[in-house]
Amino acid sequence: MLFRPDAGDFRLILLYTARVVFGIGLAMVVPLLVCLAYGEVMDAWSFLLTGSIAVTVGRLAEMRLQTRRQLDASHALAAVALAWLTAPVFAGVPLFMSGHYASFLDAYFEGMSGFATIGLTLANDLDHMARGVNFWRHFMQFIGGQGIVVIVLTAFSSGAARLGVLYTGEGREDVILPNIVRTARFIWRVALIYSLIGTGLLWVSVVAAGLPVLDGLYHAGNLFMAAFDTGGFATQSTSVAFYRSQAVEVVLMVIMTAGAFSFALHYQLWQGRRDVLVRNTETRTIAVSTLVMLGIMAIGLVRTGTFDAFGPLYRHALFNTISAHTTTGLGTVPGRMFVTDWGALAPGVLVAAMAIGGMAGSTAGGIKGIRLGLILKGLRSDIRKVLLPENAVVIETYHTSSRQILRASQVRDAALFLLLWLVLYLSGALLGLFYGYPLELSLFESTAAASSGGLSIGMVRPDLETPLKVAYILQMVVGRLEFISIFALVGYVMSVVRGKV
Amino acid sequence: MSPERTPVPRLTVTGYALVGLLLLIGLIALSDALRLEHPATGPLTPEVAEEDIDPLREEVPCPVAAGREGTDREQATTLPALPQEVTSNQLYDCPQFYDGQTILYTGEVVGALLARDHGVWSQLNDDVYGDVGAPLPTHRDFRGGNAGVGVLLPADIAATVGVVGGPGFHGDVLRVTGRFQRVDEATGEVAIIRVASAELVQEGRALEVPDSPARPVVASIAALIALAVTVVERRSRTRR
Repeated sequence: MLFRPDAGDFRLILLYTARVVFGIGLAMVVPLLVCLAYGEVMDAWSFLLTGSIAVTVGRLAEMRLQTRRQLDASHALAAVALAWLTAPVFAGVPLFMSGHYASFLDAYFEGMSGFATIGLTLANDLDHMARGVNFWRHFMQFIGGQGIVVIVLTAFSSGAARLGVLYTGEGREDVILPNIVRTARFIWRVALIYSLIGTGLLWVSVVAAGLPVLDGLYHAGNLFMAAFDTGGFATQSTSVAFYRSQAVEVVLMVIMTAGAFSFALHYQLWQGRRDVLVRNTETRTIAVSTLVMLGIMAIGLVRTGTFDAFGPLYRHALFNTISAHTTTGLGTVPGRMFVTDWGALAPGVLVAAMAIGGMAGSTAGGIKGIRLGLILKGLRSDIRKVLLPENAVVIETYHTSSRQILRASQVRDAALFLLLWLVLYLSGALLGLFYGYPLELSLFESTAAASSGGLSIGMVRPDLETPLKVAYILQMVVGRLEFISIFALVGYVMSVVRGKV
Repeated sequence: MSPERTPVPRLTVTGYALVGLLLLIGLIALSDALRLEHPATGPLTPEVAEEDIDPLREEVPCPVAAGREGTDREQATTLPALPQEVTSNQLYDCPQFYDGQTILYTGEVVGALLARDHGVWSQLNDDVYGDVGAPLPTHRDFRGGNAGVGVLLPADIAATVGVVGGPGFHGDVLRVTGRFQRVDEATGEVAIIRVASAELVQEGRALEVPDSPARPVVASIAALIALAVTVVERRSRTRR
């Protein structure tokens, strides 16, 4: 039987949602300063206005919604989902006022794409966009990649013991350190250290590619956020192809790969346990998957005759495969040419790579390597059981932080998630088919939206049909939060409508 | 949820949901009201010719078929005697046909001029914002995103570029003659034009971005309210 929520339930959910809105408001100080640095005064006012409204909402909620009730799992999950649906509203206001978005829905789409680190864009005339606004697009990815809810709450909330469920509600599974606050701070420390190193390397690379020094810093910062948070937005409309530089591409591939590693793996590497790179089931699964994808893509491109020489084939196949597999979405090839010049197999590989995605507990999206690894191990276990004598005991193990015995329930859970992901990918593709787009385009864009893959073959554009924009927004948030939080929010709505008591 | 609590009546929940919806509409309306004051009527950019077919929904009939797995790539047998005027969309729709052909292409220089040993890389955009139209946010004529092609300019031609398009600037519009390379053998870059000659069609200029006089006023008031609410909230928290 469904119980109707009481005032305390609503207060808790709205209070935590408002705290996230407050955090987004504070974060707008950064693009505001960038706007002032570049003399973009009108956009600076936009960020001041929106930031102020968000701070006001947050503070009013603190005054009016305090309750003695304790946060439980259902509150936390619903609050996470509501916060993720609300944050892009505020993020979208300065985007909309910038004059580069035809409607507020487009700006909201961009906000969701930014926070969920998708990389699909509805920006009009990106190449003339104000620098502060363009920076905000990338900064949203930096905030969203680490997890907006956890970061805001660990920074501004006391009583961290109850916050663990918020962490898992945001699509994260492994608490790296015993305390959730310490875990979140570790995530930030990793991100900031990578920021310094990655931005520095990219700065040198883009300046060597020919950009002026100060412009280079701006581009490098944006590129870093897009790559490490596996976001995929770019400063220029031509994405990475703009730089015409293999050095930039190599640095980006390293950063994208680091971004697709789970923060738990970063922690183990931090502690000097380099052997986990080889032993970890998830890294092995993704390494094998990347090699297989790369091989199939190369076969496809050779059979299609896209490249005559090995060098360009290897360069573009490798970059785009890694970009897709890490669900980043940066590209070296105009998206339309995936359709008109890459045949069918190579774009199919990109779809598969985006669908699988990176590691659980990273900034990457998709099904995740660990789930694929567990399902494959479960399959191997079943085959061995069939082949061995009836009384033989088959034990399958997997390795995350340590070696563990694989249980049937884990395989079942992984398979269930695989099924949910496939349904999510197909639902957007079906809607694309309804609007008359071919299957390969519909599936490509739907997978890009749901998995946070972000590569596009041109379907996602400002004049895309409104229902498809809405569907992609839903796919983005459901994919980013990995279903459960959205289910919890829907459950709350259902309990209001159908609850008996 | 424990059963002993008092559920909120559905009518109350609906009422609060409606208030939330109204606040959302209010926020959108406010941001719409404070948008830049663009010219009130009419598109600033020239009329865009409707394309005969939608390349996203239908196969574009190229003179040379697109490459597919296991089939030999066709070569264009009858090439036009004079360079053809093309758009970036045509180049991307039929890259095999234009591969290696000398073409005419017009677009705005955007982004940067990246000088290298073998030439200067840049981007020429031929979308409605770049070609001879006006970039955003100087108007509200939204007709698609960005479209353009990467170009490799000889250093002497690059030196004649006065304004590179970007935030606040409409770049020089160049009409270039050059060879389209689906995959450039020397550099490995995809879909570029190796420019042989260029003609300046329109000089670049600083953009006159429209103003929104009410925005600073409203933003200042909002900032003061936020400050006041923060102070009140901190005081009430101290009392608690």
